[in-house]
Amino acid sequence: MDEIIARSNIYALLSRILLQELDVEILNTLMKDNTVLEFLPHWNEWELRTSLPEQKLLEEYLNPDFTNLSLLHLVPYETFYTRADQMIETGGANPVTDIYSAYDFIVDYAVARVVSSDHIGVELEFMHHLCEAQIKALKEGDSDSATELLSVQHRFLNTHLLKWAPMYLINMKYESRTPLYYDAAEMALEFILSDNEMLSAVVPTVS
Amino acid sequence: MYLESRRTFLKGAAMTVAGAAIAKGVFSTDAAAESVENSKFTNTPDSLSFYPPLDQWEGFQELDGTDWKRGGINRHGVQSEENPDGIMVNDYMIVPTACSNCEASCGLTAWIDKKTFTVKKYMGNPLHPGSRGRNCAKGYAVQSQMYDPDRIPFPLKRAPGSKRGEGKWIRTTWDEAMSTIGKKMGDTLRNGDELSRKSVMYHVGRPNENGFVPQVWETMGLDSYNSHTNICSSNGRTPSIWTANDDRSSPDWANAKLIFLNSSHAADAGHYFQQSAGFIADARKKGAKMVVMDPRMSNSAGMSDLWIAAWPGTEAAIYLYLANRILNENMTDKKFVKKWFNWETLMNDEEHLNFMHSKGQITKMPVDKSFESYMELLKDMYAPYTLDYAVKETHVPAYKLEKLYEMFIWAGDAISTYIWRAAAAGNRGAWMGGRAAYFCIGLRGAIGTEGGTFFHHWHVISVSGKGGSSTLGQGAGGADVPKVKVWNELTWPPEWPLSTYEMSYLLPHLLTDTAWQKKWNDRGLQIPSKLAVYIPRMYNPVWINPDGFRWIEVLKDESKMELTMNLSPVWSETNWYMDYVLPVGLAGERHDQHSEATFPARWSSFRQPVLRVALEKSGWKAKNPNRATLEAHVKAGLGEVWEENEFWFDLCVNYIDPDGALGVKKMWESKRHPGKPVTISEWYDAAFGDNLPKLKETATSDERYSKDEFPVYSYMRDHGAWMEEDKIYHAMERELKFADGEVVSHGHKFDAGSMSVGVGGVISAKDHTGKDTKIGIEIDGKKMEGFETLTRKLEFYTQWATDWKWREYSMPFYPRNDKEKSEMIHLVSQVHHMYMTEENSFALNTVFRLPYNIHTRSANSKHLMEISQNHDPIWIYTKDAQRLGFKRGDAMRVKIVDTVSGLDSGYFVAMAVPTEAVMPGTLACSHHGGRWKLTNHVTVPNGVTDGKVDPSTAPRDLNNKEFLKESPANIGKAGAQTKIDDYSGTTGINSFGVPVAEIQMDGKVGKLKYVEGIKGFKAERFAEYNRDSENIWWDGLSGSWQNAVAAPHPDPVSGMHCWHHKVMLEPAQPGDKIGDIFVNYDNNFKVYQAWRDTLTRGLDSNSTIRRPRHIKRPWVSLDSSAYDVTIKS
Repeated sequence: MDEIIARSNIYALLSRILLQELDVEILNTLMKDNTVLEFLPHWNEWELRTSLPEQKLLEEYLNPDFTNLSLLHLVPYETFYTRADQMIETGGANPVTDIYSAYDFIVDYAVARVVSSDHIGVELEFMHHLCEAQIKALKEGDSDSATELLSVQHRFLNTHLLKWAPMYLINMKYESRTPLYYDAAEMALEFILSDNEMLSAVVPTVS
Repeated sequence: MYLESRRTFLKGAAMTVAGAAIAKGVFSTDAAAESVENSKFTNTPDSLSFYPPLDQWEGFQELDGTDWKRGGINRHGVQSEENPDGIMVNDYMIVPTACSNCEASCGLTAWIDKKTFTVKKYMGNPLHPGSRGRNCAKGYAVQSQMYDPDRIPFPLKRAPGSKRGEGKWIRTTWDEAMSTIGKKMGDTLRNGDELSRKSVMYHVGRPNENGFVPQVWETMGLDSYNSHTNICSSNGRTPSIWTANDDRSSPDWANAKLIFLNSSHAADAGHYFQQSAGFIADARKKGAKMVVMDPRMSNSAGMSDLWIAAWPGTEAAIYLYLANRILNENMTDKKFVKKWFNWETLMNDEEHLNFMHSKGQITKMPVDKSFESYMELLKDMYAPYTLDYAVKETHVPAYKLEKLYEMFIWAGDAISTYIWRAAAAGNRGAWMGGRAAYFCIGLRGAIGTEGGTFFHHWHVISVSGKGGSSTLGQGAGGADVPKVKVWNELTWPPEWPLSTYEMSYLLPHLLTDTAWQKKWNDRGLQIPSKLAVYIPRMYNPVWINPDGFRWIEVLKDESKMELTMNLSPVWSETNWYMDYVLPVGLAGERHDQHSEATFPARWSSFRQPVLRVALEKSGWKAKNPNRATLEAHVKAGLGEVWEENEFWFDLCVNYIDPDGALGVKKMWESKRHPGKPVTISEWYDAAFGDNLPKLKETATSDERYSKDEFPVYSYMRDHGAWMEEDKIYHAMERELKFADGEVVSHGHKFDAGSMSVGVGGVISAKDHTGKDTKIGIEIDGKKMEGFETLTRKLEFYTQWATDWKWREYSMPFYPRNDKEKSEMIHLVSQVHHMYMTEENSFALNTVFRLPYNIHTRSANSKHLMEISQNHDPIWIYTKDAQRLGFKRGDAMRVKIVDTVSGLDSGYFVAMAVPTEAVMPGTLACSHHGGRWKLTNHVTVPNGVTDGKVDPSTAPRDLNNKEFLKESPANIGKAGAQTKIDDYSGTTGINSFGVPVAEIQMDGKVGKLKYVEGIKGFKAERFAEYNRDSENIWWDGLSGSWQNAVAAPHPDPVSGMHCWHHKVMLEPAQPGDKIGDIFVNYDNNFKVYQAWRDTLTRGLDSNSTIRRPRHIKRPWVSLDSSAYDVTIKS
C-alpha cells in the first residue's frame, strides 16, 4: 500500500510543479516537507531558497523560470512531439482525450489553464488519479480492479508520457535557471522511467 | 538503475501532504463528463460525409458550431439543466429544398432551429441524385440572402405623383397591388383584340422551374412569355435544334474518356457548374482527359490536360479539321453514321448537291446515292480543313491541334461535350461551331453512348405546369387549355423567324422603333407600340442586357409601358424604375418543380418554402390556405414575402377574372374547393403524380405517405428530390410502344391505326387532334423513336434551312477563304481577327461568369460579395500590355466599336491586369461587374407607422403550441399590414455589393460615374445574423457597367446577342476613374438597325408561316393558326 500511496503522491507533486507557476501554498510544501526536499537535493541546498522572502522568490526566480520553460522556450504538450507538423492538437481530435473520456474524466480548462489536454502536468495528474483509484480499489478489496488499474497506468505511461516527456524533461533540465526546476525535471524523468520498469515487471504484457 | 532510485521514491508515501491535496485538480467527473457520456455526441465523427438519416430529419440534434470554438464537448460537456455551461445543442428540423442561385437546382436542406424558428444553416441534400449532397459557394449563400438586412420587406409601390426613377416609394398591400395589376390585365384581356393579346408581357431571367409560369400565360391565351435566353445561350442551342431538334446537349461527364469543354462553363461557373464539376472529377479520377477551348485561361483550363485558346468565333474550323482527319484517316464509325445521319436526304436532293457543287463546297458530284458515295462526298467536302488552314484561322499552334486529334480518337465513343455560352454566346455565327462539334462527335459514334454526348429532352422532367387535374378547367396535364392563337412580334420579330428564343434584349428598341413598327403594320402585321403591363420576374434587364440606357428610357416612359411590376426579393437597377416591386421568395421560400439535364437520368428537385413546411409539419394551419406561404413568412419574421405559385393562383382566380367571364378563373380554380384557387399540395400532387408513374407508385405504396391526402406531394415535400429514370443511353433506339390502339413516342400518344412508314423509314401517325406527326423511324425492321427531327435522324443536312433562305448553311461549314468570308459573313464573328486592323484593337471576351456570382442576385449576400471583390479587371496579354504601355492596375479606356456599322458605342474605364492567361490580341472582362444604385438608402414612410398588426404574440418556437396556433389574419389585405421586425422605415439597397453612382442621360448619350464605394454599416434587420455587417473591407469599385456601353448584336440566324466586342484601348484621360462609362446609345440604336437590316433574312411576301412548325417555339403551345402569316409586298 505504501508504494501506491508514494506513487500517487509523487505524480501529484510533479504534476503540480510542471503544470502551473507556484503559489504560496505549494511553495510552503516545497520548502518544508523533508521528503520533498530529499527528492530535490539542489533545491534543498539552494541558499536563496531560505534567504529570500517568499514573494520575491516566487515572482523573481521561480515563476519567471517556469514561464521560460513551459510557455516561452519549451513546449510541454504531447502532440507537439508526436505530430509530424509539430502542431499542438487543441481540439477534440487529441488522442489523449479518448483515454480521459473512457474513464469519465474531462479536463476543466478554466482550472488547468493549458491550451490542450496533453500538457505534461495534466497527463501526470491523470496518472495520479489512476493511482488514487487503485488505492480506493485496494481499500475496498477489489483486487481485480486494482490489477486492471495497474495495467491502465502502464498503458497510459507507454502510450503517452514515455513517448515524449523524456525529451521535454531533458531539455527542461538544461534550460532551467533555478535548482527547483532542474531537480523537478530530473526527478520526473527518473520517476517515470523507474515507474515504468516497476509496472513492466508486474503487468504481464504491454497493452 | 531506475529500480535503485525506486527505493528513494518509495519515500513518497511519507509526504506530509497527501498527493490529492497537492494536485491542482484539473479533471472533473461531474455533470460535464456525464453529459458527454449520456449524449450521442463525439469529438471525432467517423466520417466527414456523415449526414443525418432521413428518419431523423424532423428532429435532429447537433452541437452548436459557434459554441464549438470553446473547445468541444471534452472541455465543457453537453449543455443540459445540470450542465448549463456545456456546448449548446441545436434541435433542428431539416427540410429539403433546391438552390435557385443558378440553373442547376442542386439540392439543399434548411436546418431550422426549432427554438427560434430560424434557418441556422443550409446544407446539401444527399438525396439529390445530381448534386449528391454538395453545393457551391452560391448554394451556401442562400442563408445570407434569406437574412439580408436590405431584403424588400413588403410590397412597394411608386409614390403617387412621383415619376418612375425618382425613388419615392410607399408601402402597399398585396391586395392593392393585385387589384391594380389584375384589373389592368383583365381589362386588356377583355379587349379581346389581337394587339391587346400582345400587350401584357412577362420577362423572366432564369425560370428555374419547368413549365409553371408558361402554363399561367397559356391559360390566359397570351403570347406573352419572354425569357432572357437570347442573351444567354441561344447560339448554344441553335446547333442542337438544327441537328437533333433538341434544346441543348446533355453530356455524360462521369463516364467520359474525353471531357471537351467548349468554354469555361461546366467545370467553372455554369452550366450546372457544381454538379458537372463533381462528375468531371469522378471521370478524371478514372483516367479521363479534359480539354478546354477558351481564349481565356479559366479555372477549368488551368486544370485541363490541354488548353486550346482559339481566336473567338473560329472554333468551327477546329472541329472541321478534326472531321477532315476522322474522315480521311478512316476513323469514322460508319455503322453509326449510316444508321443515324440523315445521309439519304442529302443524297436524294440533287438540287442541293448541285448547289454545293456550284459553290465549291464539293469538288465533284457523287457518283450515285449510296452510303459509300456519301462518305466520299464528306471526305471531299472537309478535305480543305487542313492543319495549316486551322492554325492560320484559329491561331492555335499546330502541336495542340494534333494533340487534340490524338485525344479525340483515343476517347472512342466516350466524348462528352457541352455547347454553351462562351464561344457560342460571344460570336456571330458561332452556332455553326456547335453544329461542327456535333458533326465530328457523331462521326465517332459518340452520340447517346455511355460517356458520350446526348440531347436534353431525354434527361429532364418538365411537369411543373401539368397539375391541371387538380383544377376545374385545365384537365389532366393541361389537356383542356386552349392553345394560344396570337403571335407576338415584340418577342418574335419577323426578321428572325428561326430565332432560338425571344428577341428579349431588343424589347426597348422595338418599342422605340416606330419606323420598324410602321413597316410591318403596313405589310399587314399588327405590331404593338406599347405594353399595357410589363412584368419582369426576378430579372434585371437594365443592368444585364446590352444598351442599358435604352432600357431605362423605355421603362421610364409611361406611354410605352403603362404599368410595370417586378416580382423580386431584392433591389435592382431595374426595380428602381418600376411601379411595383413585389417581394417573392428566394431558394428556401418558394415552390418550384425544377429539373435539369445534368447527367443521363431524369431527376427533379422540389423547391420549397422551408419555414412554411416546417410550420405545417409541426401542426400549424394557415388561416388562408391560398396564402400559406405569405402567412408563414410573416410568422417567421421575413416580412410580407410571398411566392409566385400562390400569387398566380390567386391573381388569376380573384383579380384577373373574378367573375370567370374570361375563362381564366376556372383554369386555376380548385377542383376540391370550387370558387377558391387551387392549393400548393393539390397542384403538385397532381403535377408529379399524373406525370411520373414511378414516383406515384413509390409514394402511394410507402406506408409513410399512402394514407396522406396528397401522398405524392408529401413524398416530394419530405425528400426534396426524385429520380424517375437512370442510365438513359441510346434512347433514340427505343422501340415504339403499343397499347390500347395507341402508339407512344417520346412520351406522347398517337393513333396506332393511322401509323404509316414513309420515305427513309420515317413513321407518321395522327395525334389526338388528327394532325399527322412524324413519330419514329424504321431501320432494319425495327420501329424506333429516333430523334425529334423531321427525318428522325441527326440532320447534318438540314434540308428545311433552304425554305428559310439559309441553304448555304444547311451542312456544317466554315468559310475557307476571304471570298467565302465576305459571302458568308453570318458565320464570321464580329470580332474576327480580320477586323483587328489597328494596333490598339482587341477582341473583348465578356461572357464568362465568375463562379461565385449569380449575375445580379449576388449583391445581397455578404459572403459572396466578400469573396468576389476586385475580381473584374480587364485581362490583357502581357506583351500586348507592354506594347501599349499598360501596367497592372492602370486605368484604361475601353472603346467599343461595331464592325458592321463602323459606329462607336462609347467607352468604359477599366483596370488593366496583364497576364499570360489570355490569348494575345484578346481581352477578357466578365459582364458580372459594374453594379450601381443611385442612393444608399430609401425611406418608405408608410413602412412601420401604419403596420400595426403584430404577426404573433407567442415567441417563435416550433415546440410552442401557442405559436403554432397563431397566424396573421387577413394577410395581404388593407388594415392587416404586419409589423416588420427591427425595421425603422428606412432600408439600405444591396449594401454589401453595390456602390452609389450618378447617371446622366439625354436620350442620346448616357454617362455613369461612381460617387461612393461600399462601406460597413450597422444592420438593424436580422441583426444577430448580420452582426459583422460593419466589417466590410471592399469598396466595390473595381468593375464597370460595360453592358450599358455594349450595342445589341443580334445574330441573324439564332437571334442570340453576340456578346463579344471589338474594342480599342486608350489610356485613361485626366479625371477618368475605373468604373466610368460613356455611352452613345443613339449610335447603339443604329447598330441594332444595321445588324437587322444588313444581316437578317426575314419574312417576305412569299412567306406563309412565321417559323418552321416542327421546331421548338418555347413556353406556350401555339395554335396552328398563330403560325400562319400573310405579308403584303
